[in-house]
Amino acid sequence: MECLVHHANHYYGHSHVLARYCGLDDTDPPRLHGYLQHGWNIGDGMAPDHEYVPGVPKFVWSERVRRRAWSLGRREVYVVGSPWAYLVAMEPEPAGAPERAGTLFYPFHGWEGQHIIGNHEGLIDEIKATEEGPVTVCLYWQEFRDKRVRATYERAGFRVISHGYRGGWWKDLDPGFLYRQLAEQRRHSRVASNRLSSAIMYGTLAGCEPAVYGDPMQLEREKSAFGGQARIVREWADLHGPKLDLTVARRIATAELGADRLLPPAELRRVLGWPSLREDPDFELTGVLTR
Amino acid sequence: MTTLIGGEMLAWSDLDGSHGRPPASGAALRSLLSSSRGRTLVVGPHAPELLESLPASQLTVLVRGDSDVPAVSRDGVTVLCGSLEKLAAEPVYDTVIALDGLDRLLSAEAEPHSWNETLALLLAVLAPGGRLLLGVRNLFGVDRLVALPTAPTDAEWEVPDDHDPDRPAGHARLLAHLTASGLRAARDYAVYPSLSSPTLLLSREILAELTLSGALEAAVAAAVQPTTDALADPARLATRAVRNGLAAELAPAWIVIADRADRADRADRADRADRADRADRTARAAPAVHAAPANHAAPANHAAPAAPGGAVAGTGLVAMTARAAAPAGPSEPVGPGEGVAAATPDAFINGQEARLPASGLPRGRTLEDHLLAAAQRRDLPTMRELLTAWQSAPAAGVPAGQVVVGQNGDLTALASPGEPLAALRTFAAEAIAGGYAHLWPIPADEAELTAVLAGMTGRELEPDEVPPAVAPTAHAVGDLLAARDRLTRELAEAKAKHEWYEQMLLRREAELKRVRQLNALLSATVPGRAATTLVGGLRAGKRAVRSVVRRTRGS
Repeated sequence: MECLVHHANHYYGHSHVLARYCGLDDTDPPRLHGYLQHGWNIGDGMAPDHEYVPGVPKFVWSERVRRRAWSLGRREVYVVGSPWAYLVAMEPEPAGAPERAGTLFYPFHGWEGQHIIGNHEGLIDEIKATEEGPVTVCLYWQEFRDKRVRATYERAGFRVISHGYRGGWWKDLDPGFLYRQLAEQRRHSRVASNRLSSAIMYGTLAGCEPAVYGDPMQLEREKSAFGGQARIVREWADLHGPKLDLTVARRIATAELGADRLLPPAELRRVLGWPSLREDPDFELTGVLTR
Repeated sequence: MTTLIGGEMLAWSDLDGSHGRPPASGAALRSLLSSSRGRTLVVGPHAPELLESLPASQLTVLVRGDSDVPAVSRDGVTVLCGSLEKLAAEPVYDTVIALDGLDRLLSAEAEPHSWNETLALLLAVLAPGGRLLLGVRNLFGVDRLVALPTAPTDAEWEVPDDHDPDRPAGHARLLAHLTASGLRAARDYAVYPSLSSPTLLLSREILAELTLSGALEAAVAAAVQPTTDALADPARLATRAVRNGLAAELAPAWIVIADRADRADRADRADRADRADRADRTARAAPAVHAAPANHAAPANHAAPAAPGGAVAGTGLVAMTARAAAPAGPSEPVGPGEGVAAATPDAFINGQEARLPASGLPRGRTLEDHLLAAAQRRDLPTMRELLTAWQSAPAAGVPAGQVVVGQNGDLTALASPGEPLAALRTFAAEAIAGGYAHLWPIPADEAELTAVLAGMTGRELEPDEVPPAVAPTAHAVGDLLAARDRLTRELAEAKAKHEWYEQMLLRREAELKRVRQLNALLSATVPGRAATTLVGGLRAGKRAVRSVVRRTRGS
């Protein structure tokens, strides 16, 4: 697949969140000079289909990913933390928020290039056997559009939602994606999935109790890059199971999302190659995106 | 009074610095002269002002060039002019001062002498129990390790060389050699940046104080700032030497204050005379002096036998020194070194004498050390904290290498503050030169990195607001090579980026072209034409309204 440098940076509105943190216009974030890790990652932090231009920095979420990337020969790798961690920092949970209830479940999803192969009914049974409260199932946009898949979960009595389309190629970008995800997660006391993923890390940081259980399913032509699912289960064993040690889980999520390593806005602007506030004549007009 | 002893050099001066390095001078060396006593011989080039503190009547100065005679002559001083080997080999001097070392004591007329032979000449004139203040250049010191080849000066008709098997190579061997020569080192100092004009003296006692590492690193770095081109930055090498416990081993020079220990019972002739005299007078004035404090044993011991026998103080002194020497054994008498430690500082730093245990120096590591340690661990959060604390403190304008971080995080500046951004830039330069630039995803440019460092403290700064670097007076070859490699890599990366942007531009242009064609195509369809007509109509309407408004306003 041909791939250019920057378009993945806008996935899920990541650069929009960073632009807001930097005090820049988050409706139209500036070009980000580098590659930004766009999901929790057990490899070098970058998507496997990226072509790299030498000297272009790679911005990763965590120190662990940086070390791994370095060992894999990547240079110009800088830990900036995840956009999610910035978002959570900018949007503290308001006092007196409605009480959380139920579980937000993220079935392992495919993506545009690879679809999922698995038994949704079997997974539903496991969810029902494990969860005590109401269950919301969050599907990837691709599966959400598949009426059959949606109906399967709805029949089980679950509420079915999607956080939206991640966008791509600067087209159909969805800057509100992460905001909707955060709002939804904060309505739930638990976040769960059949595979450890970004969503579980996010939910843990957003204050949910995480759980990973059930048939992990398969991707079409799934390649086990960096040890694949087996390594995830082995290395992040503490995050697998229907009931986890919350303290340990929070510590891991904080580290994996780089929430303990957020940059000051001035530094973030400089390393991303973004204009300083004084260079942006409209910065006073900059506000939080209307959603 | 001047005596030509033979071998003198005509129209030659060691003191004016025209034939080689300048003479030994400076306040640091002056702080050691108080350890001299009795008849004193100064050999080798020493700045005349250095010798002013020595009592003229007891002082003999040997110079080898006749042009230097006027400079060292003053009332009461005996001036000898000639080559050291011509000096009568009589042990008449209680103190011999050779702080410039042994390499400039023989004139061009003399036969070559090895280092050891020259030392023997000095020892030949040193009285039993006498004291030697000796400077020794370290031929493996940081200055030599980073030096580029230079042409020999006029004074180097022979060049001191570490191939000379008679010359003790290394600090430990020097001390062993002096011991074997019948001397006992009471003090030994690591000397920076040179024997000629040291600004920093570090005794073995102060170097053993590990908690002072920050202050010592800062002092060493300040002392060896490069003035000429070098293979590598001497400051970086010297601070690493301190960190690795090699400050003495890699010092550019050493100074040893050693007493001749050949006969313990005649250890300290000058002191003995003084003490005997004092004891005698005390005994006669007040026999109750037996009650003198135990830790001040000398007068008490002197007084005891002196009281009944009148003025036979010598016996008392023998008893005292013998007792003092007893624990160390007869071959290592302790007596001779006593008093030196009290008379000389534990260190001479920043123009001041430092004495343990208080020393007046802050304890802890330097801020630069902390910052680079955090950098190496990639502990950027700690680095941000340190940078923020530094840049918001009164020490903001002091380079990080001259700031010591105390146990509770308090910062002590060891230099006077300048512009904070200049200090930040200095750290950026150090990070780049030290090979830490890869930590940041930016071109390794001082101004750029300074701006990022400022960003790490939360401060908004553009690279063009960073004060320009002071043009360096000296370059390090190693740094130049590293900079060349870095620039080569950055150029290759810039070319790759340029290519990528070029491709991107072509792609965008093609896309734009397609969109325009599509636009043209759509405009030709019936709805397209209708839309064009509508837009045209709206524009015409807008124009008409505007003209009406204009006319209305005009009327």
